[in-house]
Amino acid sequence: MPTEVKLPRLGQGMESGTIVKWLKSEGEAVQKGEALYELDTDKVTQEVEAEATGVLLKIAVAEGEVPVGETIAFIGKEGETVEVTAPAPKAKPKTAAEPEKTKDESKPEPEQPPASSSTNGRIKASPLARRIARERGIALETLRGTGPDGRIVAEDVERGESKPAAAAAPVPSGQVESRPLSNVRKTIARRLTQAWTVPAFQLTVDVDMTRANELVQKQRELNPNVRITVTDVLTKVCAMALMRHPDMNVQYSEDALLVYPSADVGIAVAAPQGLVVPVVKNAERLTIAQIAQVRADLVSRARDNKLRSDDLEGGTFTISNLGMYEVDQFIAVLNPPQASILAVGQTRDLVVPLGGDLKVLPVMTMTITCDHRAVDGATGADFLKTIKAFLQDPGLAL
Amino acid sequence: MPEITYREAVRDALATAMRADDDVFIMGEDIAEMGGSMGVTQGMLAEFGPDRVRNTPISEMALAGTAIGAAMQGMRPVAEIMYEDFLTLAAEQIVNQAAKVRYMSGGQISVPVVFRTQGGAGWSPGAQHAQQLEAWFVHIPGLKVVFASTPEDVRGLLWSAIYDDNPVVFFEHRTLYPIKGNVPEKIEPIPIGKARTHREGEDVTVIATGRLVHESLKAAEEAESQGVSVEVIDPRTLQPLDDEALVSSVKKTNRAVVAHEAVTRMGFGAEVAAVLQYQAFDWLDAPIERVGAKFTPLPFAPVMEQFVVPHAEDVLQAILRTVGKN
Repeated sequence: MPTEVKLPRLGQGMESGTIVKWLKSEGEAVQKGEALYELDTDKVTQEVEAEATGVLLKIAVAEGEVPVGETIAFIGKEGETVEVTAPAPKAKPKTAAEPEKTKDESKPEPEQPPASSSTNGRIKASPLARRIARERGIALETLRGTGPDGRIVAEDVERGESKPAAAAAPVPSGQVESRPLSNVRKTIARRLTQAWTVPAFQLTVDVDMTRANELVQKQRELNPNVRITVTDVLTKVCAMALMRHPDMNVQYSEDALLVYPSADVGIAVAAPQGLVVPVVKNAERLTIAQIAQVRADLVSRARDNKLRSDDLEGGTFTISNLGMYEVDQFIAVLNPPQASILAVGQTRDLVVPLGGDLKVLPVMTMTITCDHRAVDGATGADFLKTIKAFLQDPGLAL
Repeated sequence: MPEITYREAVRDALATAMRADDDVFIMGEDIAEMGGSMGVTQGMLAEFGPDRVRNTPISEMALAGTAIGAAMQGMRPVAEIMYEDFLTLAAEQIVNQAAKVRYMSGGQISVPVVFRTQGGAGWSPGAQHAQQLEAWFVHIPGLKVVFASTPEDVRGLLWSAIYDDNPVVFFEHRTLYPIKGNVPEKIEPIPIGKARTHREGEDVTVIATGRLVHESLKAAEEAESQGVSVEVIDPRTLQPLDDEALVSSVKKTNRAVVAHEAVTRMGFGAEVAAVLQYQAFDWLDAPIERVGAKFTPLPFAPVMEQFVVPHAEDVLQAILRTVGKN
């Protein structure tokens, strides 16, 4: 009588696990204590040992999520047969493709992505496709490979991400138009939802922009071939402020606070396809004119939907400027995993009491949002004070 | 910018260095009156005389050893090995002596010698006169290896090879001697160890050497007409290799084809592929393709020879495989 291999409970509270791959194939001899398969729980991925010696007669669940206690394989003597009593896992694999072996038993599944790129539980995907999928949190199992031999290539990941949800079949709904979610829209939704779970605080200050505006004018005269904007000055100023406040140039991660050596400043761009945040790398080392050039290139490629993944990676801080939309002030949502984002409003003339007198000054209101897990209020305030000081007296940034 | 042939470019580098510098001289089989079996050194005997344009006996080992000895004494000899197939006869001197002396003398003795040689198929020279043996020499620490594919490159690189203080094995391709190209008025040295991008592209990087640079450029043009944008890079120096140029290109295009006329198996391209997969692993969207000769001695029969060595069409097919278009 063959021994049933059941999914073990490896820790308290474990209800199910995901079989990643089998380390033995059907018909292979197995020793008790030998690693038999890889199991992914919500905590770790680990190898699970065989509890019996013999031949692996049958793998009932090749991959996917399985409840604890479910029979996933049979070990017995050579030549023994196993009656397969349709071991269809109760918990349907959430994202994992249906194992090919059980496929013919189940009824044809509509819209299930074919597991053509999977062989023996190993999914065929190019290293680039794997990297993009990893970065965007897309499960390769949900994708269909169009490369040679069904390999998942980068294009499939991009396409998969923008693929409308299976349920988005044309609904004849009176007035409501159902637009499939675009690639970018999905990413925005996922990342900003993630941001919402982060404890954040905001700080707001007003800045006298007289000197900063003069600087923009002078820079334009000096660099007639480059279109220099307030955003470029802000980028430079923030980069220099980040260098003065390394405690702000950080990211919170589960086990450590990551302190970044350079100021890679993201700039929020309203592209036709949605919000994107390309990054000006090493902004602290660039001149304002160089920043303007890099920014112009990034913005124009963002508008043409031609940004590469490394244009969008690695930012340590973001600037979101809605001044051109005549917004006075606003609060930006964090751009995870970055620890802070600066929301910049328009510069407008305000009457300001100054030295016992009333003056009309160009005032810009900016609000910083900080990840409180990484940064405390006083640290953020100190940083914001430096930005303000640099804008009001740009020479201080030197 | 004057237009000259690859052959004239080699001769110009040699003659210009010999005019500029008494330490530079050339030696080899039939290079004097005959002007070399490929005509590269024609006319040089008349200008420089038999002391500096030296015919040698038909012994590659003796000729290589003599050149190495002269180099150890401070000269800058350029020895011609008539066919690279005959490098095998000089290998003891090049591999065990030239490559090792600087190391074994603790840097006291340098060996500024150049071994110029040529090879390649395309004119039915048979199995013993058409091999591409650069992979034998890139494997030896202590040697630099150059393989230039255009008149400009061959002239600028030969100049740098002559003035390099280390032994350089300098490969030329037989079928490239008549090709023409523009070169700068004055010789501009091309640094050893720097690749050249012949054509920029977005989808696939083809890394090619020697004759295959030209075949790859043809293939790139055809691929372009099929909507595939191809970057073509010639490393020019095989040892040391310009890893950075190759890797950064592949990081941009995410796909690579390595093409040379030498036999594919265990070839130079295998090392390039290894460098790319290691340094650009997470950027690769397709397996790295290799294009080279089939694993067989080169046939004499022209049809069979054409069948064995790679052409533009082979490069094109490899390009299309990387983008899943065939």
